[in-house]
Amino acid sequence: MTDARDSPPAWVPVEHRWFGLDRRTFRPALIVLVISLLLVYGWQAVDAAIPWHNEIKAGDVLDLGGGATAVPPVGWQLESGTLVGATPAESPTSLDVLLASGGATIELRGAAFNGTAAAFLDQAERADGDDDRPAVDGSRGTVTTEAGLVGVAQSSTSPGGDRLDAAFKTATGTSQAVAAAPALLVRVRTAPGQFEQHSDEVSALLRSITPEVDQ
Amino acid sequence: MTGAALSPAGQAQRAAIQQSGWGQPFRFFQPHNLAFWVYVLGVGGGALSMVRYFGSGAGLYRPALAGGVLLFGIYLVPWLLLLRSQNRYTKQPAGLLATGFFWGGIAATFWIALPANTALLEIWTKVGGTSFAANWGAGLTAPINEEWGKALGLVLLIGLAPRLVRSAYDGFIIGAFIGLGFEVFEDVLYVFNGAVQSFGVDEAGTSLQLFLVRGASGIVSHALFSAIFCAGLMWILGRVPGERNVLRGVLTMLLAMVFHFTWDDVTGLGAGSVLVIVLPFVLAPIELAALFYVLRHAARQERVWTRELLEPEVETGAIDPALLDAVSGLRRDRKRYRKQLHSRRRSRHLIEAASDLAHEIAVADGAETRRVAHARAELTRLREAA
Repeated sequence: MTDARDSPPAWVPVEHRWFGLDRRTFRPALIVLVISLLLVYGWQAVDAAIPWHNEIKAGDVLDLGGGATAVPPVGWQLESGTLVGATPAESPTSLDVLLASGGATIELRGAAFNGTAAAFLDQAERADGDDDRPAVDGSRGTVTTEAGLVGVAQSSTSPGGDRLDAAFKTATGTSQAVAAAPALLVRVRTAPGQFEQHSDEVSALLRSITPEVDQ
Repeated sequence: MTGAALSPAGQAQRAAIQQSGWGQPFRFFQPHNLAFWVYVLGVGGGALSMVRYFGSGAGLYRPALAGGVLLFGIYLVPWLLLLRSQNRYTKQPAGLLATGFFWGGIAATFWIALPANTALLEIWTKVGGTSFAANWGAGLTAPINEEWGKALGLVLLIGLAPRLVRSAYDGFIIGAFIGLGFEVFEDVLYVFNGAVQSFGVDEAGTSLQLFLVRGASGIVSHALFSAIFCAGLMWILGRVPGERNVLRGVLTMLLAMVFHFTWDDVTGLGAGSVLVIVLPFVLAPIELAALFYVLRHAARQERVWTRELLEPEVETGAIDPALLDAVSGLRRDRKRYRKQLHSRRRSRHLIEAASDLAHEIAVADGAETRRVAHARAELTRLREAA
């Protein structure tokens, strides 16, 4: 008589076979499978079941890091980012703010960039280079905020949706100071033909952006 | 050979071989084993997710990705040497450890943690607001998704090699390798994300900066958390007679999760003060002390097995009691033996040769083979070469 240790490596006793598999291996395998699926899809299901209730209220101001701020449109959901006065304070070079309302999103991203706002917009468009869907681009325009920041904006429309990208350097003053300041990219995305519906809110947000405060 | 013909030391040796599973080969390809297919699903799913993730910006961010792979590939080498030196007593086969490493790096990171963390972080943002999520979200997410995601690799390895994965020490070593895999692949992911965040500006500089920060903080990171967590899981599972200790297991796993929480939420714990910089330096020695405490307790059963395996060799004169203490003991026992011999090199050689002999005895299932005789002769040669 031989014990299990002496049996050939892949030998499965007949009473343990099930469609070519060894039933004795089911327990650990199924435990792993169930827990994995719960982690991957369970959280997603819970997330989908919970609605957003982080609405921007009148008077709220977004922290863009380094003292720079922007006034977000009232009623939009703040999905990422910090309001002025809350912690932790944002860093202007790793800023990632996301506002959403009815299928439209406004994303504000900060980065370290030495150069002009126009050069930064070129770099951001290169980084978006994988999006090769056909689109009709508008001409580049200048955006000036109430605080005197001068940015560059580019809009486009495609069957996938309408988009507007606006780039700023978050400083005013000498050209050297502006070139060395962190860059800010505002990305607006809406469903096709829906940009007009949000254009006033987007314009108000762009005009409200203030520069960094000298520390 | 029957049990009745064996001396008490021989019977204990036989029992140690049976219980430890030492000497058993590890076969990865087991189409009859459902654990094999779940492993393939996890790593396959993770690999697909990884290709999709990196592929989206492979053109512009190639320098950062290549830099990350190169830098963290080099970073991996001293880690592997360190963990190899800890894989003592009843050593785990390299194939089994590699299987764990790739589960940690590909399945746990890209199949489980990436989607699970995204969803849970969003849940915390919805429930507590963006400020709460920024302060505490990472620490309330990663210890759950990532520690369990990694530990599932250990459970699969139990399914793939039930005789090889037995003690808390096995859990400790395998957990460390799974954690190391997770750590290195996640670091490359961070380098890629850093390049995306900076829109591809100065990718080399960003990669190097992230390498320095993640490399330094990685000393007390996933490898440590998983080693502790998986040792705790093995205490709960109790796969060796007398080793089950549910309370100790649960507390050990919670300890690993608390360490992971503090690692992720230093900003929240430091409340924006100087503590943010000081805390990691305060926590690191505590975490390392806990690691060695768990290691010492987890190794207890393995030390007993090693002693029982080699005890009959004391009777044959191949091993003396001091060497037996050193090869089956803790660091302090090896240090004492080194002092006794007045030679670091000689003591290292003798301990390694004794370990070789134990391995050959286990592979031969206690029988006398040519390789056992050779390992014994090597030991004798080294002892006589004083």
